[in-house]
Amino acid sequence: MKKAIYPFAAILLVAASAFTFIKSQDWKVNDDYTIKFSSEDPSGEFKGLQGAIKFDETDLASSKFDVTVDVSTINTGNGMKNTHAKSDKWFDATKFPTINFTSTSIIKTPSGYDAKGNLQIHGVTKEFTIPFTFQKTATGGIFISSFDINRLDFNINTAEPNHGASKLKVDLNIPVTKA
Amino acid sequence: MYKRIFYLSISSGIFAAFACIVYNKVYFFAFEIEFKKQVNPGSVIGINLLACIAAGAGYYLFKSLLRKYADRVFNIVFMCFTFASLVVPLAISLPLDVQNPELFPALAIPMHFFPFVGWFSLKPFFIRD
Repeated sequence: MKKAIYPFAAILLVAASAFTFIKSQDWKVNDDYTIKFSSEDPSGEFKGLQGAIKFDETDLASSKFDVTVDVSTINTGNGMKNTHAKSDKWFDATKFPTINFTSTSIIKTPSGYDAKGNLQIHGVTKEFTIPFTFQKTATGGIFISSFDINRLDFNINTAEPNHGASKLKVDLNIPVTKA
Repeated sequence: MYKRIFYLSISSGIFAAFACIVYNKVYFFAFEIEFKKQVNPGSVIGINLLACIAAGAGYYLFKSLLRKYADRVFNIVFMCFTFASLVVPLAISLPLDVQNPELFPALAIPMHFFPFVGWFSLKPFFIRD
């Protein structure tokens, strides 16, 4: 009878392992992150990044980004431009206070990763892909991304398509530590 | 004549720079915000001296060319340049690490009038009509 315990235990272990799930790593954003945008005019940055970042290079299926950026934190270096950017003519920060990105899938690419998901700006939600790389550091890692975005796709001041640049380059540098 | 104009330029430049430094202190006292990289004693003294020396050069030129009408024309031109210069603090984009950039014009715009004020306040001490 005792001999039967070992095969039984082995079967139980194998069976149990089938129900084991790997929880993706949660990351906490460090304060020194940067969200910069640049064009001929304007250029600047956002602060106020919040949300949940789950990312595991070995388990992309359960990795997920669900983040928001506070529109009122926009800084172009010029007070007048900041005020205009937050007005109803541009971002309308009172009505649409945040920019949201929720990933639906993350896939490996030759140069890094692609986070596919829904980007909501100015109340307009569009499918959007954010390419990024992840560099491991001693204390955690850094998400680095660079992509272009067209403000007209999100109905931002479509009445004046040539007032300032319509296409802007966005550069993200987001150092994180394990949560 | 050119010596008096030169002394007037230097004096009004120093006067304007002193006024800017005092105003900067008052502004900091009121709002507890400083724009050290943009407004500091070095930049303030340099810019005000440069503005007043340029004004002096212009005044000398007008005196040489227009003689009788030189003062009237110069005053108008100096005023126009002063008003035109107000665009700079409104349009300038400060470095992104500068906090509250919307408070910068309220600091810088009054300063743009100080060379003008300094020049006309001190002019009677150096040049008599």
